[in-house]
Amino acid sequence: MDEQTTEINRSRQPLTVTLREFELTDVDDYFVWASDDRVSPWWRWDTFTNKEDVLTFMEETVLPHPWMRAICLDGRPVGAISVTRRTAEHQCRAELGYVIASQYWGRGITTEAVKLVLGTIFGDMEGLERLEALVLVQNVGSQKVLEKAGFTKEGILKKYLIHKGKISDMVMYSFIPSEN
Amino acid sequence: MNDDLRTLVSYIIYCYSHNHRPNQFIIYQLSEMNHDEKHQKPKTPTITLRKFTLSDVDAFMSWAADPRVTRFQRRDPYSDPADALAYITTHILPHPWYRAICIDNTPVGSISVKPAPGEDRHRASIGYRLAYDYWGKGIATEALKLTIKAAFEELDHLERLEAIADVDNPASQRVLEKAGFKEEGILRKYVRLKGETRDMVMFSFLLSDAV
Repeated sequence: MDEQTTEINRSRQPLTVTLREFELTDVDDYFVWASDDRVSPWWRWDTFTNKEDVLTFMEETVLPHPWMRAICLDGRPVGAISVTRRTAEHQCRAELGYVIASQYWGRGITTEAVKLVLGTIFGDMEGLERLEALVLVQNVGSQKVLEKAGFTKEGILKKYLIHKGKISDMVMYSFIPSEN
Repeated sequence: MNDDLRTLVSYIIYCYSHNHRPNQFIIYQLSEMNHDEKHQKPKTPTITLRKFTLSDVDAFMSWAADPRVTRFQRRDPYSDPADALAYITTHILPHPWYRAICIDNTPVGSISVKPAPGEDRHRASIGYRLAYDYWGKGIATEALKLTIKAAFEELDHLERLEAIADVDNPASQRVLEKAGFKEEGILRKYVRLKGETRDMVMFSFLLSDAV
């Protein structure tokens, strides 16, 4: 199991953020953010209401995902982060996605998780030259995470994605290791 | 000599034959019109869009075999019409929206609209190619305008048309702007093209812009 670590100093309470692969035994922790009504509006899935559905989701989507990690705080999963690579002529790029339980918002944890990904993903995925992220224009918190992690805002793609049944404008961010 | 010019020449001849001095302003206008006629910008020929047929293979080769046209495409120029025929059969004919750009019903290029994968059916991307001899005449711009109108009419739920142009392809960027597309940003290292990773300019045309 790979572990990447960093220390955060925040008012005399250092926190250790690590990334590791998910296991089905993480279902209870996964359920915490998957069932959180404050989290799901920003993510493409609907709020989960029972653990069986989360277990199925973990079996069908999380565990088979080519690159997905649990964001752990002091060893305990508090969120998830994934990198989804494109195919064919678009293999040079991959999309970053992340989610974290709402009680941990605003503490720099997601930013640290993104930085950990940046430190490892370009070595893991040969030929990857661009890591991009699409953020809802209203999701200022997520935009701050990316900016603090060193991403560049490239523009607003209007009516780009359907989010919760509504056609939404998305902000495009990217991290280019040779430039950023 | 156009009609306006003819009228003015007649006016001047009349003036001199009747010992009137021609109005100086009219003389000025006469010389300006003559200048304009000599330096008039060529009008864009009338273009139409239609579906491809297998008999269009020779016309298709006029751009598909030309490295100047394929420079910003992923594919290399075709050298064998049999390969072009295979492409028309397997890719063009079954395509959801692929049209020949025609002058007098002869294809001089092609334009296609490809819906986004998955759930995002409200979004589609446009690509176009034109035979080299027909560049610089406003044909691609006209084809885009016709395509925008047709795509929003024919494709259900379509709200966003998008197109990307290589940062080193200003001609294509101008064509998109003239057709009414709006630049949204430069997407760095966005696609692989012939062994290189390219920066692309993203453009969009929204249904709400078409009003």
